[in-house]
Order: sequence, then structure tokens, then C-alpha cells
Amino acid sequence: MPAREARPEDGAGRAAPGREDLSSRIKEQKIVVDELSNLKKNRKVYRQQQNSNIFFLADRTELLSESKNILDELKKEYQEIENSEKTKTKK
Amino acid sequence: MEAPPDPALLAAASAPAPAPLRAPEVARLRQEQEKVVTGCRERIQHWQQVEDDYSALQERLGTLPDKLSYSVMVPFGPFAFMPGKLVHTNEVTVLLGDNWFAKCSAKQAVGLVEHRKGHVRKTIDDLKKVMTNFESRVEFTEDLQKMSDAAGDIVDIREEIKSDFEFKAKHRIAHKPHSKPKTSNSFEADFANVESKDVLADRELWARLEELERQEELLGELESQPPTVIANGEDTASSEEEKEDASTRVNGRVNGHVNGTHPAAEATAPSCRPADDTVAELLHGPSCAVNGSRCPLSDEDEDGDDDDALGPEASSVPTIYFSHTVEPKRVRINTGKNTTLKFSEKKEEAKRKRRNSCGGHPAPELPTIRTPADIYRVFVDLVNGAYVPRKSILKSRSRENSVCSDTSEGSAECEERRGLLRSVSCEDALGSDAGESILEEEQEQEPLPEALSPAPGTLEAFSGTVIEKELSPCLAPHPATVHPVLPTIPERREVPSEGSEVTKRVSKFKAARLQQRT
Repeated sequence: MPAREARPEDGAGRAAPGREDLSSRIKEQKIVVDELSNLKKNRKVYRQQQNSNIFFLADRTELLSESKNILDELKKEYQEIENSEKTKTKK
Repeated sequence: MEAPPDPALLAAASAPAPAPLRAPEVARLRQEQEKVVTGCRERIQHWQQVEDDYSALQERLGTLPDKLSYSVMVPFGPFAFMPGKLVHTNEVTVLLGDNWFAKCSAKQAVGLVEHRKGHVRKTIDDLKKVMTNFESRVEFTEDLQKMSDAAGDIVDIREEIKSDFEFKAKHRIAHKPHSKPKTSNSFEADFANVESKDVLADRELWARLEELERQEELLGELESQPPTVIANGEDTASSEEEKEDASTRVNGRVNGHVNGTHPAAEATAPSCRPADDTVAELLHGPSCAVNGSRCPLSDEDEDGDDDDALGPEASSVPTIYFSHTVEPKRVRINTGKNTTLKFSEKKEEAKRKRRNSCGGHPAPELPTIRTPADIYRVFVDLVNGAYVPRKSILKSRSRENSVCSDTSEGSAECEERRGLLRSVSCEDALGSDAGESILEEEQEQEPLPEALSPAPGTLEAFSGTVIEKELSPCLAPHPATVHPVLPTIPERREVPSEGSEVTKRVSKFKAARLQQRT
């Protein structure tokens, strides 16, 4: 079952990710992780090459762990933003 | 890059003199600036994505040769895929643009991608610079708006430069001392209260200078004689006179010395400076083609003319009047066989004045000459009571006849004179140096103020005969090219008119005139 891998996020060069943008990405990542974890063992997972239509075969377990990491990172970011906003509102 | 003309927006809302800073325009300016900023942001985003893509590609290319083949999902059109294998992992075909491809290895492809990334980074940097620039502008506009809302006395100052001057040289406005370049006006709007006051003070100064200038001009108009008319596109009928007057007066002032018979210079020397400058600049205006050419030489000429011509009609305030329809002072016509003629209208004018000698009454019969054809039409010889058109000066004649037209003499007389002048010319040639032709013309003028009397009745383009040099192996008619030591060639005949010929014929003119009279 082909699975699409989200693009790695480059938050540094762009404007500060908005909260909504971040939350949507977190949702996407969650779905990815769920889907990957819900795959049968014999399924092949393909990763899309960025900005093109070609898919390369990828290792399922690796992909799963990778996706989980990304999700964690996103969540952290979100938390940080939320915390900073809370401190601002408090002040 | 794509920056809207911000200053133009501000200057577009033109209002005379100080006007309140218009809020809607400032708001619009801010809008436009913000547009630019957002546009820049979008473009930066786009280019950043491109850079990401290239990075990912680089990564992939780096690892591609690691395996012999990859199992991939091969795209079939936009929606379908087919499992397949990617083989020849090291052979990469790179699009170079314009449907040109390059087959290279993965590593080389990586290098290409890196090069492209450099371009993308540069673009992103430029866009960022533009964005920051316009962000600062937005800030400033915001501040300006706040200030104008808060303090009501910030005004938008504009000075509209009007050329009140009656000459056509509007393109020369910048040369006048009191006129500012127009760009400076747009800067005035940017400054706060303090600077607006300074600008107001400056404007007062300029206004004052303009006033003084106008007064000067009025004075000049009142006090000058009828022939001196304000020249602004007036016809050539009086342009010669005006020009002469103008040039003489300018000369008097520009050169700083006062003519004995020219009280105008004295009167103006101590008076308004701005008028002086402007006047001088007026002269340099549209008629610069003429004046410029004779400026260095005009000294001597006009001194001589002053003495002769302007004695009777001295005006107290010198004024420069000139028109665009200016004819060349000297017309050097190559009549073939190394003969050149010089037709100086100024000298002719002076001659006419001397003739009239009743205080600058303008010669009403002056025809308007615009083309060479007019000359031949207007200036005809009166031979035995009949009008004989003069032969074209461009046509070379035989030895006996002068190429240039005679004043009132037939060719027979020319021969007579030629004989006489022959001896005279020798003396002259020896005596006179190969100095400036103008100098010698002046000499010609001054010792013979009354001698320049052309044939009665006829208008003369050339009041004397023309000396044509037929065979002149050594001597050219133009003094500048002639060895002073060599005698003039016997064939030559002079034109005893004002400055029409080479300077060596100074005394020949005299002789010719004397002969005419006798």
C-alpha cells in the first residue's frame, strides 16, 4: 500500500509557523503514524520523491519510526508556542 | 525590483503652495508598500520551497548509485502507477533548459544541483532585501500618517516652477540661479515641521529674486529704444538688431568692462546680480548656436560696433533680447577654388545703422531671409536701372567676374577696381597679420566708420565686391591659412562690406569705397 511521506519541515527559513498551520501538520503526522502502524507486515511502503511523481520503495519499520519522530517534534513545537503565548497573555 | 513609484504617488496629488498632507494619499502609499511586502513574502516562500526540493533531490542523488536498482512505483500518466525498477542508477539526464539535456553521473548531477541552489539562494536574498526595505518604508509612512493626524500643521510643500520669463529657453531653467531643479520639490514633503520652515524661507528668497528680475526686465523694456523689442519668437526682421544689441549689451556685462559709449553696461554693473546672471544665461539659451560661436570673439567686434552703431542709441539698462530665429553671424561660403566669403549680418546691420544715423531707426526694408534662395531673390543688382539677379555665389566664375555678387557694379567696374586693389592688396597682405579675421574686421570697422556706404537704394547682401582667388598656389583667402608674408594674388577682389571678406582686404575696402565714390 503506497504511503505518502510528508515533506520535512523547514521552519527556520520561513516565517514563524502559525499555530493553525502547526496543528494541521500535527494532525497529518498523526494520521501517517496511525496508518503505518496499521499496515500488514507484507506491505510495501513507498516514499514519494519531493516535487515529483516517482515513488521509491522504503522500509516500513524505518518509515514508521521516522514518522513517529517527526510527530513528536511537531508536538514539541506546538507546545512551545502555546507556552510562549500563555506567558505573553499572562504578562 | 517591482517597486511601485512611491514618490510619484505623493507628488501626483499636486496642490499649489503648502497644502495639508492628504491622508488618503498617504494611506494609499502605505497600501502599495504593503502590497510589495506581501508580494515579496510570497515569492520568498516559493523560492524557499524550490530550494527544499533541490536539497531533497541532492540527497536522493547522493544515495542513488548505492544500489544497482530500485523498485519503484512508476507513474503512468498523472494518476496511475505501476511497480517497476529504476536501473542505471548512475546515469542521470539533466535538463539544462531550452530542451537541452546533459547525461551525467549522479555526482555531477549533484554538482549541478548545488549550482542551481546558489542561484535560488541569491534570489531569496534579493527578495529579502527588498522586503526589509519596503517594510521600513511602511513604517515610515505609518509614522508620517500618525504625525500628520496628530499635528495639524505639517504641510505638504510643493513649489511649482513656473517660467514667467519671456523666452523659449525653458529647457535651460536649471542654469538660472533662482530656479531649483524640479526633483527637489518632492523631497520637501518628507520632512517634518522644522525643515518645512527652512524650505519656506528658501522659497521666499527665490520669490524675491524673481521679483527683482521682473523689475529689471520691466525697466529694460521701458528705457530701451523701440528697436529693442522683447524677443520671443519674433521675426528676423528685427532679430538682427536685437541680436546685435543684445550681444553688445551682454558683452558689456559679461566681460565686465564698460564701453565708453555704452552707458548700459555701467548702469547694470552695480545692479541686480540675478538679473545679470539670468541675462547672461538667456544669451546662452536658444541662440547659443550663434552666441557660443562668437562669444570669444565678440569682444572686439562688438566694441567696434558699439562705437559705431550704438552711440546714438544708448539705453541705460542693458537687456538681452533674443529670439530663436537667429541667423548665423558669419556665413562662410566656399565659392570654389579656395574662395570663401564671410557674410556678417551684424556688420551689415551696423552699416545700415550708420547709414540711417538717426538713432537706431530700424531698417524697415529688411527682408526676411530664411534660405539661401532668399538672398538671391532679395539682393539684386541695379545695373543701368534694371534689376539684374546676382550670379550664384556657389558658381565659380571666370577670372574677370567675381564669384560673389557685387554691390552695384557690373563686372567691368570690378575689373577696374581689381587693378587698383591689386597694389593695395599687396600692402595689406604684408601689413596685416594672419590674425583673427574678426580682429581685422574690427580694424576695418573702426578706421572707417563712415566709409562703409554701400550703393544707394539697393539692399545689399554684400555691399562690396568679392575677391575671388582664382589661381592661388600659395595663398588662401582666409587669413588663418595664409602665410602673412606672401602677397595676395592679384586676381583677388575684395568685398568692402562689413566683414564679408578676409581681413587682409581691410585697406582694399577703403580703396574700393574711395573708388566708388570717385
